[in-house]
Amino acid sequence: MRLEKCWFCSSTIYPGHGIQFVRNDAKIFRFCRSKCHKNFKMKRNPRKVKWTKAYRRLHGKDMTQDSTFEFERKRNRPQRYDRINTEKVLQAIPKISKVKATREKDHITKRLSAGRVNRRAEDRRELEQSISLVKAPSVLKEDATLTLPKQKVTVSYAQTENTPMEE
Amino acid sequence: MAARFLSKSSSGSSLLGALGTSLLGVGSVARQTTSNLTYSDIFFQQQRTFIQMGTKLKVVDNSGAKRVMCIQALKSKKGAKLGDIIIGSVKEAQPRGKVKKGDVVYGVVVRAAMQRGRCDGSHVRFDDNAVVLVNKQGEPIGTRVFGPVPHELRKKKHVKILALAEHIA
Repeated sequence: MRLEKCWFCSSTIYPGHGIQFVRNDAKIFRFCRSKCHKNFKMKRNPRKVKWTKAYRRLHGKDMTQDSTFEFERKRNRPQRYDRINTEKVLQAIPKISKVKATREKDHITKRLSAGRVNRRAEDRRELEQSISLVKAPSVLKEDATLTLPKQKVTVSYAQTENTPMEE
Repeated sequence: MAARFLSKSSSGSSLLGALGTSLLGVGSVARQTTSNLTYSDIFFQQQRTFIQMGTKLKVVDNSGAKRVMCIQALKSKKGAKLGDIIIGSVKEAQPRGKVKKGDVVYGVVVRAAMQRGRCDGSHVRFDDNAVVLVNKQGEPIGTRVFGPVPHELRKKKHVKILALAEHIA
């Protein structure tokens, strides 16, 4: 039994799933589900289809180089069954996958942290402009507790003196 | 595109379109055409079926024949699948070969466009329909086999063909 990778989306194909397509030049394409199979038949390039791993890796959305990938390399040499080795491998697999998952998550967080400032500014703007969708501005004015969160605004010019109102 | 969904659900129905394909036998039709069919729609609608009477297959050995038309699929009312034996009539042959045009020959299907389930639950399908000519005992007439062959042939006891094959899928 061998866990294959889908040619189109690069997800693992478990036994009993998917279709294998053998082309006349003897190249085998494995697909995890009919979605990938149909996209292949439409001659779509997986490197251009946004939801595939190929696209994500190519455009730097997901981690490309890491030492955890070395563990999953395809090995064609059959190994003699060694009980101790097998036990060790079975214990190591969940640890490795956890490390890999945390590293991938960190990669994505780091990538998204560059735009955090912009996102906060956008949220603030939305709060100012579209607060009427939540509650009418007149209601907000009446109730003193419902105020917009205070924002710090740095004032660059010198404060003008309050001239007393002249009647 | 309601017509598309209808065609998928009722596999027994047949619509003769501009292609003019004639229906023979019990098997369902491979394609249907509607008025505004795009190239991608044809890919979605193509339902691969059995190899039945009238199916033209490619011959992938050096027996001399080039194309064979199936006249009977042995062992199944619906039609032949990957690894089955068919009786065919040679439609096109090379000038100097072991078989001539018009001969009635036996053949083993080595590549089928219809997917066949394997014992581990996966499915395989090939790009085209291809056959290797054999005699009544099941031994291949030619001495070479071209292209990939499936290892379903081992279970069907066509060991000689596997031995001649250049690639086993």
